[in-house]
Amino acid sequence: MQDVVNQVINTSFGWGWPSWAIALIGYLIVAALLFGIAPFQMLFLTLYERRAIARMQDRIGPNRVGPEGMFQPLADGVKIFTKEDIVPTAADQWVHFIAPCVVVAPTMFMFAVLPWGPGMVPVDMNLGLLFFFAISSVSAVGLMMAGWASSNKFALVGAMRAVAQMVSYEIPAVLSLLAIVLVTGSLSIVELINYQGGLFISTRDVASVPDWGLGWFIFSPVGFLAFIAFFIAALAEGERTPFDIPEADSEIVAGYMTEYSGMKFGLFYLAQYVLNFLLCAITSIIFFGGWQGPGVGWLYAQAITPVNPQGGWVFNVLAGVLGVFYFLTKTYGFFFVMVWIRGAYARLRIDQLMDFGWKFLIPLTLVNIFSAAIWVGLTKWGAADGLAFVEGWSPLVRWAAAFGVTLALNLGAYLFLARIFAQSQDERARQDDDVLEQLTNVA
Amino acid sequence: MTTETQHGSVIVMDRRRGKLRAGQGLLQGLRVVWDHWAGSFRKNDNFSKIHGTFTVEYPEERLPMPQAYRNMPVLLFDDESGHELCTGCYQCQRICPPQVIHITQAKDPVTGKMVPAATEFIIEYDACMSCGFCAEVCPFDSIKMDHVYELSTANRASLTMRKAQLNRSISYYTGIAPGLWAEVQAGAMKKLQGSIKRRPDVIGLAASLTEKIKARRLELAAAAAAAPAAAAVSAPAAPAAPAAKLTPEEKAAKLAAMKAANANKGAAPAPAEAPVALSPADAKAAKLAAIKAANANKGAAPAPAEAPVALSPADAKAAKLAAIKAANAAKQAEAAPVSVETAVATAPLDAKAARLAAIKAANAAKLAAEQGNNE
Repeated sequence: MQDVVNQVINTSFGWGWPSWAIALIGYLIVAALLFGIAPFQMLFLTLYERRAIARMQDRIGPNRVGPEGMFQPLADGVKIFTKEDIVPTAADQWVHFIAPCVVVAPTMFMFAVLPWGPGMVPVDMNLGLLFFFAISSVSAVGLMMAGWASSNKFALVGAMRAVAQMVSYEIPAVLSLLAIVLVTGSLSIVELINYQGGLFISTRDVASVPDWGLGWFIFSPVGFLAFIAFFIAALAEGERTPFDIPEADSEIVAGYMTEYSGMKFGLFYLAQYVLNFLLCAITSIIFFGGWQGPGVGWLYAQAITPVNPQGGWVFNVLAGVLGVFYFLTKTYGFFFVMVWIRGAYARLRIDQLMDFGWKFLIPLTLVNIFSAAIWVGLTKWGAADGLAFVEGWSPLVRWAAAFGVTLALNLGAYLFLARIFAQSQDERARQDDDVLEQLTNVA
Repeated sequence: MTTETQHGSVIVMDRRRGKLRAGQGLLQGLRVVWDHWAGSFRKNDNFSKIHGTFTVEYPEERLPMPQAYRNMPVLLFDDESGHELCTGCYQCQRICPPQVIHITQAKDPVTGKMVPAATEFIIEYDACMSCGFCAEVCPFDSIKMDHVYELSTANRASLTMRKAQLNRSISYYTGIAPGLWAEVQAGAMKKLQGSIKRRPDVIGLAASLTEKIKARRLELAAAAAAAPAAAAVSAPAAPAAPAAKLTPEEKAAKLAAMKAANANKGAAPAPAEAPVALSPADAKAAKLAAIKAANANKGAAPAPAEAPVALSPADAKAAKLAAIKAANAAKQAEAAPVSVETAVATAPLDAKAARLAAIKAANAAKLAAEQGNNE
């Protein structure tokens, strides 16, 4: 964007503005665009979710406002804007007021490092992934503020659950990403996507593989297990069913949102859906190559880039359009999976949630990090690093060996942990029954 | 999937049971939801299937109503004769639990006796509880329960239904409940024939008429517009138009017009004979009144007849209405000259009353003429 602004202002008009002004204008334009896009993502996703879940329940869903219910979110938005804003007298006014902003702001920050297409990233931060997840946990503070300031027991319980859940599931999410970061050797999200060129095998692992933009991490055992763990953790982060315990309406009304009405409630909703969009987006970026797909890499190679200033601008547009198309297709696909899971599973109990996170996901992701280390050793290391025996192997053989070893390790770990976990759950259920029996006998 | 059992066909759902390994149950759950999602793109018309959309998109699609569905009571009238089945027997008014039915029994204007018909029939739909007692108790099968359920309105007063709004043709009722009508048809029609015999004039005719009659009226009005000259000659425009088959109402109007003409004719000779026995002044006045009434009738008649000449069919309808009104006015006028005649013949003291009546008739006729012009 800054290149374009620089081109227009300093080359076309010849005004000779300083580079900081160019940068400021460039970032302002990008920020304005993103602030426009984020709420529209939320509007679209609400409609998308309602339509999809309706289909899963043999219904049709909202299809009255506009063609196929297209303007239903706008109608909802108008409704929520015109609602009365009620602040409980017992509430801590200022904290109650600021909490929605604290929840929404981090989700907006997260767009800063999100690449939409080749070369289309607001800020290519070399700590992108860390930034993304660090910022995402800030919203937990907002949730706690909302729950506490409402001075309502449901809100407080909801906020407690939300924070407990978010903190617990940050760990498996970050641990599963750690495996990927081990493989790529970088925390930059752009670098992460670039790594995923190839055809089922990344070109960085085996250079001879044709680059079809399909060298996604999901095709490696390490990536697959990380994906499963990460997606489950993402469901919990985004407070999606079956982990929507913080706002379990049958138990605690609406959780931390109980005392919110009107647009403040709308802001929580916005934050939630934008967060869900971002989680789907980051899942598609990390494990499914983001904008990577057949054709994008080739198109981008012909485009005007710092590497290739002689390219044609048409290829910039084409690569951008195709890349954004791939990226959004994957993202909405993951959102569909979220809706699908919501349609299929019942809500967990808080203790089941904690058990699952701490006793199953975290050990699994730890094993996965071990697998990632093996993967890196087998595919990248050599005699200099102390792995002399792989020196003579061709890259494909090294890749195959890494694949085999990590697959066996991950599969074994999964089956073993699943068995232990199921046994522990059974044992727990049996103990609960015993306690119940004792209690009934006493009574 | 259906299975035959001892008690008939039973729908059995495939629960996909079996030994599950770690995480397999979750995947099976997803599979079930996926099947529903994939199946929902077509409509489920067979309820033994568990997939497919069940939604009936209401304003566009509606489920067919069962014949015995009941919502609000309506009054039936016969398509052929235009006569209402209701005789004003008050059975429904008596049984109505919320007491929302109000009937006025028709009376013969000449004899003052009760006629088996209702001049007004009101049902307050806003308080009606749709119990259907009225339809059940009606001995003439006149009151029936309608299937229309979209009665929401912002105007509560509009839910007080008068007879004109309650009228439905028998063909309408056979459309919604053919079986139920077939059961009672013979008896109802027999009773109706009996009622018609005892109904003089237009009493008992449905105020709102069927599409057929409306179409006929339009046709007639068009004919009247096409031949204004011919219409202007004779007094009421409508009956004068070439009508192969007249509707009951038109027949009645024509009859009334003829009666009025006869009365005028009768009234005119009477004053001529009067001077023999009466004082000249009173006789003169009576004669004048009679002439005025006749003029008024004449004046009223051409006005609606001329109206349609340059007007569109919609206006022709209004003109037609005016012509009918004029005919009704003429009918009212008819009563007065008759009384003039009798008064003249009997006693001189009554002559004054006769004069008053004649003047009243003239005023009424004039009013009718004005109305005709305005409309």
